Amino acid sequence: MLRLLLLAALAAGPTLATAQVWPSKPLRLVAPYAAGGPIDISARLLAAKLQDSLGQPVVVENRPGAGGNIGVDLIAKGPADGYSLVMSAIATLAINPSLYPSLPYDPLKDLRHVTLLVQVPNVLIVTNDLPAKNVRELIALAKQRPGKLDFGSGSNGSTGHLAGEMFKMMTGTYMVHIPYKGSAPALADMMAGRIHLMFDNLASALPSIRSEKVRALATTTLKRSSFLPELPTLDEAGLKGFDMTTWWGVSVAAKTPQPVVDRLSAEILKAMDAPDFKDRLRNMGSEAPAIRTPDQFASFVASELKTYTELVKRSGAKAD
Amino acid sequence: MEGIFGNLAIGFIEVFKLQPVTMWGMTLQHVPFNILMCLIGCLLGTLIGVLPGIGPVATIAMLLPVTFNLSPIAALIMLAGIYYGAQYGGSTTAILVNIPGESSSVVTCLDGYQMARQGRAGPALATAAIGSFFAGCVSTLVVAMFAPPLAEVALKFGPAEYFSLMVLGLVAAVVLAHGSIIKAIAMVILGLLLGLVGTDVNSGVLRFAFGISELADGIGFVTVAMGMFGICEIIANLEQKEHREIFTSSVGKLMPSKEDWKRMWKPILRGTFLGSALGILPGGGALLASFGAYTLEKKVSKYSHEFGKGAIEGVAAPESANNAGAQTSFIPLLTLGIPSNAVMALMIGAMMIQGIAPGPQVMTERPQLFWGMIASMWVGNLMLVILNLPMIGMWIKLLTVPYRYLYPSILLFMAIGVFSISNQPFDCFLMACFGLLGYVCVKLGCEPAPMILGFILGPLMEENLRRAMLLSRGDPWVFISPSKPISMGFLIAAVALLAIIAAPALRKKREEVFVEET
Repeated sequence: MLRLLLLAALAAGPTLATAQVWPSKPLRLVAPYAAGGPIDISARLLAAKLQDSLGQPVVVENRPGAGGNIGVDLIAKGPADGYSLVMSAIATLAINPSLYPSLPYDPLKDLRHVTLLVQVPNVLIVTNDLPAKNVRELIALAKQRPGKLDFGSGSNGSTGHLAGEMFKMMTGTYMVHIPYKGSAPALADMMAGRIHLMFDNLASALPSIRSEKVRALATTTLKRSSFLPELPTLDEAGLKGFDMTTWWGVSVAAKTPQPVVDRLSAEILKAMDAPDFKDRLRNMGSEAPAIRTPDQFASFVASELKTYTELVKRSGAKAD
Repeated sequence: MEGIFGNLAIGFIEVFKLQPVTMWGMTLQHVPFNILMCLIGCLLGTLIGVLPGIGPVATIAMLLPVTFNLSPIAALIMLAGIYYGAQYGGSTTAILVNIPGESSSVVTCLDGYQMARQGRAGPALATAAIGSFFAGCVSTLVVAMFAPPLAEVALKFGPAEYFSLMVLGLVAAVVLAHGSIIKAIAMVILGLLLGLVGTDVNSGVLRFAFGISELADGIGFVTVAMGMFGICEIIANLEQKEHREIFTSSVGKLMPSKEDWKRMWKPILRGTFLGSALGILPGGGALLASFGAYTLEKKVSKYSHEFGKGAIEGVAAPESANNAGAQTSFIPLLTLGIPSNAVMALMIGAMMIQGIAPGPQVMTERPQLFWGMIASMWVGNLMLVILNLPMIGMWIKLLTVPYRYLYPSILLFMAIGVFSISNQPFDCFLMACFGLLGYVCVKLGCEPAPMILGFILGPLMEENLRRAMLLSRGDPWVFISPSKPISMGFLIAAVALLAIIAAPALRKKREEVFVEET
């Protein structure tokens, strides 16, 4: 019995100690995508900030593969000591669970979601020579020419693809999905007029909208974007309740001690409130999220997971 | 024309600007900071270029946070310097140890290393540097003068055009080989098959991954290239019981002879032209440019029988092409805001963090930035040639290092490089497997170059074929319809090339060209 107690004490000891002196060694922040994308860049921005406030090096580690699942799985199955963080996103937490039949982790049970970092709206853009000047005309055009309009997206099961499917379902229209490898080549084909429309991430579409290479019709969020305040939302344009925002944040392994999660959350929020960091995230098209605590973030993830599970099922999108 | 000079003047003034700089609490007045950043970028680029496997993407990603504290122009000048500096450095490793330092210098191995074996490493390195310099200067001018109209041309390339271009490239790939043509075709097909591994773009279905999640995104190009060229070369060298060939005793002259100059200027011109053209197209860029230039040279050169045995054209053309391609791949980025490869995507990231939305408005809204960057490319190319020519002597000394010390360090750097791309030990094992495969291929007399080209082109070709068919709703005539003259032109050229290869009357001549090296 004594032995058992001793063992228990030994086992509990390090956890308590970790929480008290955390962080006592370098942290790693896994970005589950290739270097250079917006998630990778915000990871590097955040790492630089956390390094200053935590007094320990924070190393960004790119672990791309399988739509981000490899990197997230690494943290979900890794040690829950608060030294391993991951940039989790709408793809890996809400969409992939229903897209990939054999996802190795459970986005709600295996991970503790710390802070929602970025929320970027998608925008509905059309080619300049498409006759539709607003959402209503686009719906009319799609009904008049069923199966003739093409919409591009960055990949199968991306938010751009699912937004298109949601649009089709809500309007009862039929358009053909043309998947690309990333939204840049899709945008190029749009400028050339080879595809008709796209639900692109605001940050990547904004330069083309401003230079009038493509025309924006609406944003996909419930609230108007402060970058394009004159642009209506799809909800306003008649598609009641259309709400789709690309988001990402920081998660850790589920069993990470609460004090560590709290401290981490506080430090990330502090970084997010710093003017320079705020500006840089804004440059990437992000509006400051209203969700701030770990618990709010967790329930947000749960509700998003529910929404997208439904949507993926109804749209018939698949990945192996 | 006058506008151009005015704009370039803005650019050069920006590059050479003296500005106060605060560092470690000290403020220095009148520091030519932008030019300093250009130098740092070029130096770093050369270094990572020389190191096999370590590429500009990983380097630029790691340096991104550093650039946040610089001015936008200084940041972009440095990052661009890393990119084209790497193209310069990549040829050094290829020529000296037959291992591509950078993915775009894969073809430089073919003839560059043979030149080194013949004691002509100096001229080979000099040719690469001079070719790169010339190509860099010309293509920078192309960017400055024709960026907007060329961007429009790039937009003309849709899925159908890409597919037809790839078909032409694949037919041309067979020409790359100097051994048996059947074996070359087999290797191209092997490359195509390897390119199929990973997630299918259209359906999202996983192919040939055998439940290994690391294969879900396909096999990395660097992994294949380092294995098939690097590891394979090391095994082949270690196989020799005696000493590894020593060609250090006959290092010979450092600079190209008069005869060399005469033979290399035309390939440099052609390489520059082809590289500038292919660089504009998103997706391919410098890599395709170097393969294309080599193939073209082999077809048109009157020394084509020397290709693969140390023809100087085989170094001059691809090295010019990859550098030209590297410069012109900035065109879609600067004028349309569309990245043509992973490095350009990183540059977009760097710009956005600085609050600059990439796109056509950059040129009008921030002329200093736009023209400063273009001017810096020219200055950077000059720096690189000045840096690289005197270094040739030093590089050649590297050959005197005993192989037993040299090869473990090369192996180490290759492993680091491959690992750094996605931080997966699996990729290192994969590289080793490709090394073995490469060795088996060498023993069977099959060359890896056509396979590599098949591997690059295969996935692009499939993706574009299926996208074109999706857009045309399954109508195959889309590739040769009169409304798509570019696509039709490529396909006609491919058929013509195929006829030349297959025609019985020409076969005899071809066999002379492709005769097995014994």
